[in-house]
Amino acid sequence: MADLRIKIGSVDFKNPIFVASGTYGYGTEVSELADITVLGAIVTKSVTRYPREGNPPPRIVETPSGMLNSIGLANIGVEAYIKKMIPLYEELKTPIIMNIAGSTDDEYCEVLELTELVSSNIVGYEINISCPNVNAGGMEFGVDCDLTEQLTTRLRKLTDRLLIMKLSPNVTDIAAIGVAAEKGGADALSAINTLVGMSINTTNKKSNIHYGYGGLSGPAIKPVGLACVHKIYQAVDIPLIGIGGITSADDVLEYVLAGAAAVEVGTANYRDPNIGTSIIVELDTLLDQNDIGSVPEFVGKVELGS
Amino acid sequence: MKIEIATVMENKLIASNLWKMKMTAPDVAEQYKGAGQFIQILVQSSWESPLRRPMSIAAVDGDEIAIIYKVFGRMTQILTELKAGTALDILGPLGNTFRWDDNEFTAVLVGGGVGLAPVLNMYGECTAAGQEAVLVLGARTSVEHFIDHKPQNNVFLATDDGTTGIAGTVIPAIVKSLENTSKPEILACGPEPMLKAVQEFAAAHQIPAQISVESYMGCGVGICQGCVVKRVNGNVAEHSYHEKYSLVCIDGPVYQSKDVIIG
Repeated sequence: MADLRIKIGSVDFKNPIFVASGTYGYGTEVSELADITVLGAIVTKSVTRYPREGNPPPRIVETPSGMLNSIGLANIGVEAYIKKMIPLYEELKTPIIMNIAGSTDDEYCEVLELTELVSSNIVGYEINISCPNVNAGGMEFGVDCDLTEQLTTRLRKLTDRLLIMKLSPNVTDIAAIGVAAEKGGADALSAINTLVGMSINTTNKKSNIHYGYGGLSGPAIKPVGLACVHKIYQAVDIPLIGIGGITSADDVLEYVLAGAAAVEVGTANYRDPNIGTSIIVELDTLLDQNDIGSVPEFVGKVELGS
Repeated sequence: MKIEIATVMENKLIASNLWKMKMTAPDVAEQYKGAGQFIQILVQSSWESPLRRPMSIAAVDGDEIAIIYKVFGRMTQILTELKAGTALDILGPLGNTFRWDDNEFTAVLVGGGVGLAPVLNMYGECTAAGQEAVLVLGARTSVEHFIDHKPQNNVFLATDDGTTGIAGTVIPAIVKSLENTSKPEILACGPEPMLKAVQEFAAAHQIPAQISVESYMGCGVGICQGCVVKRVNGNVAEHSYHEKYSLVCIDGPVYQSKDVIIG
């Protein structure tokens, strides 16, 4: 049996397999289909200061080895999250990481402050500064080093819990954004959020997504995610959480070799909400087969050259 | 709901471009609540196509469930190639059902194209329960129909080109079917233009109607938030969630016609 335990900041996780924000609801919806208790962590759907309806349909479309989504941060808002979800998490054995989105510095801070006011067993916050689907989805933070650092600095002062900044690949230099978040005091970085994409129906000349563009996810973006993680890994000293197209333990190992200490499984949950659990079992076997005693010893160990 | 490995028992062409597949799926069959519910099929295991495909349940008989599907993409084409004995990964049963609160009405069941399955399913359930029902099916042309136009048996077919049954959309056929019907309630599923026409007709004639909505779907269980339909709702607060849009996969697919805006 390989040792699957990992540590991010001061938090221990029983394994490095998390489920990504927006692909697992608020964590409890699929408990009929999946054993959620074995997951390393559940990152819950982006929460904003006030509830949001989200974008008009069509919101999603399948694309080769992936899908586009333009949900538009539909969510219950932080007050309902505190009232309805946080009490449920008291009973849950799985660590919860709350994902927060906003359109201004103040909005992010207010959501985090309100959540800090109540007692909860949330282990950390993942800050979505990279949603491509709403005009004010935080994307302007995620593409600017100064704004990223300022926001991270403000949030850092508000919590001792794990602070993870989720980075966008839709930038010129993702490593520079990662460095800015590290300077601001982030405990960890997660990457990548979705890539801006488009899909068109040639029969009726219509975009398959209401607002034209959506966020591309799924196995199609795995090589992009790996390259981004590898670039950030070389630029920062804080741990990375790899995201993008993970469907198997082999994918996990790729991300680990590129520099990730943990991973988030995303789009694959739509096909099978229990896939995270399957990957954990598979990873254990894969590490044993490769004589890898634990995940941390392989982080960033990819070899370049022939 | 369950993820179950079903076994294909039969898969055959029943009309032009229209297929019927029967499969044994004891878990899904056991949890099945009624016509309107659907399953999410993983047509092939490759990640080239990551998402399942939603298919309405057309019948349930013991351990066996049936679907009726139209071929319009690569995944539905692959589905036609599955032989008896093939294992098929399905998730279900999902969604809500058509409902009737008392038996003092006549179910006017209207279906067309991809929307045939839940309507035929409901017809079967009405027949089995002794519930008065008439069936109205629409298609572009006669070869797309797989049963006969028999008004005397309360089965009315419509074709756009008039090659079978009543010429035109399903609306003239619905009008015809209502001639000898008391207390009708329309239960419909089909392509968007058909559903819109049915909605308008039902509203204009003050006939209660339920419609089963088709939607592009991601997960089918409420986590991706992809399959929304707009609610008729005049008083949405400035900040709201789930008031303006409803999730077809868990709130639907069946709605009161007056409650949702199609397209």
